[in-house]
Amino acid sequence: MSDTLTLDVIGRRVEVNGEHATVRFAGVVPPVAGPWLGVEWDNPERGKHDGSHEGTVYFKCRHPTGGSFIRPKKVNFGIDFLTAVKNRYVLEDELQEDGKEQTVTIGNKPVETIGFDSIMKQQSQLSKLQEVSLRNCAVSCAGEKGGVAEACPNIRNVDLSKNLLSSWDEVMRIADQLRHLEVLNLSENKLKFPSGSAPLTGTFSALKVLVLNRTGITWAEVIVCLCPPAHQMQVMPTDVLQTIKLLDLSSNQLIDENQLFLIAHLPRLEQLILSDIGISSIHFPDAGIGCKTSMFPSLQYLVVNDNQISQWSFFNELDKLPSLRALSCLRNPLTKDDKDTQTTRQLIIAKIGQLKTLNKCEILPEERWGAELDYRRAFGNEWKKAGGHQDLDKNRLSEEFLAAHPRYQFLCLKYGAPEDGELKRQPLMLKNQLLTLKIKYPHQLDQKVLEKQLPGSMTIQKVKGLLSRLLKVPVSDLLLSYESPEKPGREIELENDLKSLQFYSVENGDCLLVRW
Amino acid sequence: MRECLSIHVGQAGIQIGDACWELYCLEHGIQPDGVVLDSQHNQLENAKTEHTNASFDTFFRETRAGKYVPRALFMDLEPTVIDGIRTGQRRSLFHPEQLLSGKEDAASNYARGRYSVGSEVIDLVLERTRKLAEQCGELQGFLIFRSFGGGTGSGFTSLLMERLTGEYSKKTKLEFSVYPAPRVSTAVVEPYNSVLTTHSTTEHADCTFMVDNEAVYDICHHKLGVERPSYANINRLMVQAVSSITASLRFEGPLNVDLIEFQTNLVPYPRIHFPITTFAPIVSADKAYHERFSVSDITTACFESSNQLVKCDPRLGKYMACCLLYRGDVVPREANAAIAAMKARHSVQFVDWCPTGFKVGINNRPPTVMPGGDLAKAHQALCMLSNTTAIMQAWARLDHKFDLMYSKRAFLHWYIREGMEEAEFLEAREDLAALETDYEEAGQSF
Repeated sequence: MSDTLTLDVIGRRVEVNGEHATVRFAGVVPPVAGPWLGVEWDNPERGKHDGSHEGTVYFKCRHPTGGSFIRPKKVNFGIDFLTAVKNRYVLEDELQEDGKEQTVTIGNKPVETIGFDSIMKQQSQLSKLQEVSLRNCAVSCAGEKGGVAEACPNIRNVDLSKNLLSSWDEVMRIADQLRHLEVLNLSENKLKFPSGSAPLTGTFSALKVLVLNRTGITWAEVIVCLCPPAHQMQVMPTDVLQTIKLLDLSSNQLIDENQLFLIAHLPRLEQLILSDIGISSIHFPDAGIGCKTSMFPSLQYLVVNDNQISQWSFFNELDKLPSLRALSCLRNPLTKDDKDTQTTRQLIIAKIGQLKTLNKCEILPEERWGAELDYRRAFGNEWKKAGGHQDLDKNRLSEEFLAAHPRYQFLCLKYGAPEDGELKRQPLMLKNQLLTLKIKYPHQLDQKVLEKQLPGSMTIQKVKGLLSRLLKVPVSDLLLSYESPEKPGREIELENDLKSLQFYSVENGDCLLVRW
Repeated sequence: MRECLSIHVGQAGIQIGDACWELYCLEHGIQPDGVVLDSQHNQLENAKTEHTNASFDTFFRETRAGKYVPRALFMDLEPTVIDGIRTGQRRSLFHPEQLLSGKEDAASNYARGRYSVGSEVIDLVLERTRKLAEQCGELQGFLIFRSFGGGTGSGFTSLLMERLTGEYSKKTKLEFSVYPAPRVSTAVVEPYNSVLTTHSTTEHADCTFMVDNEAVYDICHHKLGVERPSYANINRLMVQAVSSITASLRFEGPLNVDLIEFQTNLVPYPRIHFPITTFAPIVSADKAYHERFSVSDITTACFESSNQLVKCDPRLGKYMACCLLYRGDVVPREANAAIAAMKARHSVQFVDWCPTGFKVGINNRPPTVMPGGDLAKAHQALCMLSNTTAIMQAWARLDHKFDLMYSKRAFLHWYIREGMEEAEFLEAREDLAALETDYEEAGQSF
């Protein structure tokens, strides 16, 4: 590049032998003559110092070995967009003369390439280009005004990752000329905070996908980029990017949960990818427990893999999202425990009612049914302690319980309140399975009332056998029935010999009536 | 001209077929009822390819009503799976005569699939095949989708292949087979079925692309972030590979214009026709823009065993032939550079006697992904078919399992009962042993 160093060179992104850096200083560094550029490398270990030389501080670096002085000649300031496109896609003149197919050799083996020249011809028709990949092509500016719009206006999808774009304004200049732009990838470009100029009307009007991975941009800056200052527009600040459906903010550690509200009202946002941003909680303050929030109205798919989620309250909050259908939350502290992945999955399914896909596995209706029933039973005791009642009108649940299990009420309505019988969890010892029964003889007034402990699985036949030995009455003469103290006057006949006491729902404390 | 007929046999074949035609329809802009939307039709015409309609024609037949009907036949010995297609999303895509089902299934028994139950249905299947073949101007060949381990997939397919060779001797037959996974089994008698079917089919198939469930499970689980991959996830990934292999048949593309070229490029000896399929990049849809793969990255990835669709270690063998099928935004200069980089790798070893090691081609149409699927849309993709002696490990594993069961004559009576003889087992086993030896010899240096 030229030797002239103007001040506007500071802040520009450059490339030296494959390493990217930002220019921080331009000028003379005594005692060595000639112009020098002071650069801060992206790779903090690449440099020799931190911007100071022999005591004088010329520029500041974040890292003690992050900076270097380089001659301007050795530095690549990048090329403009159109040149980059031409470099990649247009056939060079020399090759056109060579009509034969190229052969490459690998060791002793020639490699046959077929049809490469026809492909080259097709790709060289720039105006037909719709998908363009300019990754690592040293693009630093938009080039002459209107050049891009004239040569390749139909570009819908451009990958500008790992280039030398230094400011959002430059991006806007490029985007402004690509009216059909749908997908824009700006990852790995260190963009500067926008100066405040609003995007022109029509820029980004067709944008569907915007990728800003590893750009070092802060959340506040994103909002300013995407939304012009409110005082300049009469409508909602998010008017410019109404069409955004997918937002991937992964691996940007500077985003915290409070700032998510700034994108909460994008009306068409359907997919939000927040992997690896260090998020651990989320809160929708406008919705109470059990209500739906007005934020993220169209959000259908949320990805929060590789984060710091360790509280179940996170999932409780997710239930408030009105359109959420799919969730991916792998590799979080809460879900990491290998032994319990099945339980974790069930709990998440139960906590978020409208979820149809979890971790890319469809939730079948049977799975949901099972998960919700299990959830209802698992927390049944807590519910009772917190004031739950069979008769739902008499429910008075504590705030704590409601906060921890906001869907519980709904589950009770759906499946019925959990009954005591379900909730009791006694150890499986035989003595706990025995039913203590009273045995009465309605026709024999002089016989005592006996009390016996019988297992519930005992068949009526065996009960009759036992009684016949006791009473010295033949089995065939015995007629059994039982009544329950809870429902006095109602007698249930035990007529099928082959069925068990359990079958007839004989409970502890019931009374067997024997007649012959 | 040069049409290809797809035949899907057994549950595996049918389910893969379903995913496959779903993907083809997406790629060609055909709706689930066979109609192409006008605007999309124009898109096809405006596409950079000249003979679009002709290429389209290889897999779909246009009816007078303007519908496009796949040139496919689905058959199974029991109706459940086919009923899924008959009542599924694509029920109006297929003609009812293309979906054949019997009443009694093969019960994971090669003998039933081939001798008892299969023999009753074979004539009907052949008749339908004949009908489909007559609708073709110039039939190139058949693509057969099946599994090795199932009863219909193994037994019926071997019967079908024999009869197809009888009737259409000059037509190519390519197979896409689901090989039994090393550690994940669906049937206990898989080794028997696989060995028996390989023995009978080897002489009739021209090239067999093998895929195994375990490799694809692992890819889905580790790379695509699917917690518990279901067959739907697995099939979608497999059909991406199938689509890449057939891409040059369906879209204008200079490489591998007809099915015979596959054989010529990949098969050095008639029996050594089991290439392994590798696909790159395999990126989860959530990470669509995180990792950008350049052409050299995807080329390197294809030589890694984690991207393979069959579990086998290619470093333990030598490559005999390799086909690299690039799709998408790939500039020839980059493809050349990527291949040149491969020459420096010591792990890619070729046999001494093979003259042209690689064949490379580019197809401009990038791969299409199922909306809402697990795979991210890639700008550039690569499907590599490599014939390597390392596949011998897969056969060795299978043979070992076969030997373990056969030594005790376990489960044998199910086969004997249907009319097979023990001699056939011995014959099949010897044939596979010979196959292993063939591979060993091929890999030896002079």
